[in-house]
Order: sequence, then C-alpha cells, then structure tokens
Amino acid sequence: MIFEKVLNKWILFFLFLIPVLGFIFEEYYYITLTTKVVILGIAGIGLNLALGYCGLISFGHAAFFGLGGYVTGIISYHAMNSELIFSWPFIVSGSSDMLVIWPIAILSSAFLALIIGLLSLRTTGVYFIMITLAFAQMLYFFAISWPSYGGEDGLSIYMRNSLPFVDTMDPLTFYFICLFWLLVVIFISAKLINSSFGMAFQAIKQNEERVKSVGIETFKVKLLVFVISGTITGLAGSLYTDLNRFISPSVLNWQMSGEIMVFVILGGIARLYGPLVGAAFFIVLEQTLGSYTENWQFWLGLILILEILYVRSGILSLFEKKLKYEK
Amino acid sequence: MKNKILNIKNLSKSYGAFKVTDEITIDLYFDEIHALIGPNGAGKSTLIKQIVGSEKHDIGSIILDQEDITDLTDIERAKIGISRTFQVSSIIPQFSAIDNIILSLLDKSNKTFEMFKSVRNNQELYLNAKKILIEIELIEKSNISASDLSHGDRRKLEVGLALAMDPKVFLFDEPMAGLDERGTKMMINLFKKIKSDSPILLIEHDMDAVFALADRVSVINYGKIVATGTVNEIRQNELVRDVYLGYEI
Repeated sequence: MIFEKVLNKWILFFLFLIPVLGFIFEEYYYITLTTKVVILGIAGIGLNLALGYCGLISFGHAAFFGLGGYVTGIISYHAMNSELIFSWPFIVSGSSDMLVIWPIAILSSAFLALIIGLLSLRTTGVYFIMITLAFAQMLYFFAISWPSYGGEDGLSIYMRNSLPFVDTMDPLTFYFICLFWLLVVIFISAKLINSSFGMAFQAIKQNEERVKSVGIETFKVKLLVFVISGTITGLAGSLYTDLNRFISPSVLNWQMSGEIMVFVILGGIARLYGPLVGAAFFIVLEQTLGSYTENWQFWLGLILILEILYVRSGILSLFEKKLKYEK
Repeated sequence: MKNKILNIKNLSKSYGAFKVTDEITIDLYFDEIHALIGPNGAGKSTLIKQIVGSEKHDIGSIILDQEDITDLTDIERAKIGISRTFQVSSIIPQFSAIDNIILSLLDKSNKTFEMFKSVRNNQELYLNAKKILIEIELIEKSNISASDLSHGDRRKLEVGLALAMDPKVFLFDEPMAGLDERGTKMMINLFKKIKSDSPILLIEHDMDAVFALADRVSVINYGKIVATGTVNEIRQNELVRDVYLGYEI
C-alpha cells in the first residue's frame, strides 16, 4: 500500500509537470494530449468503481460518456445559435456556461445509469455484459439517426464553453480545469473505497452470497455504485466534448466502452490511479505506434495479450515491484 | 412450556419426482440447541437454505418469533434475525479476519450506506469486532487475510460472522468440521453460552459434539424427519439406528 501511495504521488507530479513544460516550451500539443489522458482517466476511474471494485463488468459505459458529451454539445450548440432547446411545456434555452452544463450532464448520466442499472443489475455474468452493451448500442444508433444534432457526422460547437473569470480557450487553463475534476473524482473514489459502503461493494465482488447472508441489500449497493460510476464517466464525456469542441456518435459506440475497459485493465484493475496510467499508456501508444503504422491497434492488442498473460495486476504493479526491489 | 422462536411447518420441495424436503415440520424453542442429524444427502443443508431463503420451497410456512417470514427474501430474513454459517466456508477471502467481522456488523449498525467516513476509523465497529474475535479465539489473527487462515480458523470466522449479526436464531451448518480438539471444545462452550440469547439449529456430523450440546435432536433421511426427541430418546430409537446403519450412536 505504501508503494502504491509513492507511485500515486509520482503520477500526480508528472500530471503537473508535463503540461507546464509544454507551456514553457510552447509545445501546446502535449498539453492537449495530457488533457485527453486526464479526461479519459476520469472515465476509466468511473468504470473502475463498478468493474474493478464491485465486479460489475459493464460493456456499456460509452452510453454515459456519450450522453455527458451530447448533453454538453446540445446545450452549447443551442446557445451558439441562440435557439431554444424546447419551448413547450416550458422554455429551455441553451447555455455556454460550464457551471450550468456540468450539473445537467452529470444528472443526465446519473439518471441514465439508474435506468440501465435497474434493468441490467437483475442479471449477472455474460448477460449483464450483453445488456449494458445493448443499451449503449441503442443510444449509438439513436445518435446516428438524429439529424438535428449532426447524425452520423456529429456536432461541432466551435467555441469551448466558458467559466466566469477564466479563459477556457487557453489550453493550459482548460487542462487545469480537467485536472481539478480528476482530483475531485480521485478524492471521492478514495473516500468511497475506504468507507463502509466501499467495504460492502468490494465484498460483493468477492462473495455476493455471503454479503447477502449478513443482511446487506446487495442490489441497492450495486445500483448505487453503478450510478456513481456512470455519473463520473458522464462528467468525463462532458469535458471531452469541450476539449474537442465536437461530439459524434463514435463516443457512444461499443469500441469506446472497450477502450475505457482497456484503460482499467492496462493500468490495473481495482487500483485508484490504474485507469489514469492505462489511459496515458494507451494514448502514448496510439501516438507513437500511430506515427509508424496505421494498424497500431494490432500492436496494442498484442501488448494487451502479453499484459494479461504476464502482468495481470496492470502496469502499476510493475513499478510497485521495482520500488520494492530498490528498497 | 417454552415458547417457540422458529416454527417450520410442512416444508416441501421437489425436483420432478425427487423430494428434497418432504413435509418437514421442526421447531426451535428459546434457550435451545436443536441438532439436525442425518446421512450425507439427506436434505439437511437444503433445509437450511430454505429457512434462510436462498432456496425456494414449494409449500409450507416458516414462522420466526410469531412473524410469518415465508414470503420474505433471503436478505429480509437475515435482517430480521436469521443468521447462518455455510457448510463450506464462505468468507470474503481478500478481507482480513477483522474486516470480515466488520462487514457482518454493518447492517445492524446502519452503516452500509455510509459513504465518506473511513470504516477503519470507526472505533465502535472495531471494538465490537474485536470482542467477537476474542470470543472465537481469533484475535491474534485479526489482521491476517481470510484466505491465509487455516481451515479450522475459517470455520471459527464463519461462526464469528454469524455472531456479529446478533440474530434471533442461529443456523449452524457443520461448524465444527475440520476443527481440532481445542477448537471443538471452544465451539461447544461458545454455543452453550450463546444459546440463551439466540437458540441454535445445528447440523453436525460430530456426534460427540451433538450429544454434548443438543437439547433435542431431529433425524432427517431422504428429506423427511424420521424422529425427534431428546438425546437419550434418539439414541434408543430403532428407526434412527437403521438410518445410521453401522454407526454407533
């Protein structure tokens, strides 16, 4: 545990260092890249709560990521065009204020997670995987066939949404906004994991029958974890739309769910910072391998196979072993 | 006359033509240890599963402390006071012994949904868990991962998990299996001590332990209760001798 804490401090140090260096040397590309790592890391931390700590293998977290993204995109699209979102039964206009958009994106994702959770958590194992996948795919095909918001081509919002007294268009400023959210999400996750509630959902992963036998309502616990998990991933989706100033149905596709799952597995299942490291590793691979070959996913697949065969506890465990050895 | 805390009436369950439990009627009185014995496959553990609600029965009723709990779920039954141990140790393997006990204390202390307070800083839970670990003689191993405990220690931990729930009745499924002599003695003393607060329905193959502990004994065979009585009555019952053909009881 001590080694993991040391590692986590190093990770945070690099998260501060890299963008600042990018700013000093005017390499803004690296700031954007690190922002992407942070946002996808948030999505992964969300999934990790359900998958890593509670054993809920959701293959549909793209639904929350995409919904958070689309809610952000749609609200700011209407603000940009000065159009009402709807005028009946009451008037709702768009907004480009992040303080308005974030709560709506978060609540929408939470509500969707509640609906999907209520239906899917009645199943287990492969059925749970399939039903969560089915929900995400439903949303994906809905987004494709919704021309009002770009359909298959997606939706551009041109200007990043705003925050009072802050220039969100500045890459470093936007990075620190995302980093702030990452630290909030890590703080909340750490609190949850160490709480009584965390004890209950981590026990469910290991032996649900035993947890039931001591009178704990496992369905409620799992549902709550699923909702929190989906909400965090939805927040990441909202930030992702602002990063790219664009949202398309691709973020709702099963491939996105798979990628978020890969972040968790690569970094280390049930490790607080694991998905962040996984996302960083994934993006570095995407960038480096992608510059050599179009088929970089093939090599990623190979690395993933090797990792699952030889380093099941994720990349973080490698550093942990090294630290132990050095000590 | 003593009052009944648990009253099971005509509990039956069939898989096609095969009757797993066949019109089982069995009582548990306050301040009593009622042992349920029978050969392997007789239906003892199935009966336990039906009482706790993890397996549904076809007909029959279960009354706990004058409340009909027949239609309650397994979790609801656990909440209102049925606590069990499993035939094969069922613990949380990656939790320490003390964390296993704390898990069992959560529901009773309304702490399951407490989200932002560290469970490890909750002195009340820790002190209660330690008391139970002392009682089951596992305090020295409180921080050892449950998966690293010996078989006997896991059996003790199982009982500790049941004790932590402070239930109305205990259903113990072979709690002494695999325990050494000292462990068995500890369990016998513990069960004698706790039965006045929460009576025990005990499934056990260790006949010495059964006869040392039980106030009454029921014998089950092919899913049917074939005899109920005091230890002496059961020892002398011809039918029981047939069930246990070749075994000295």
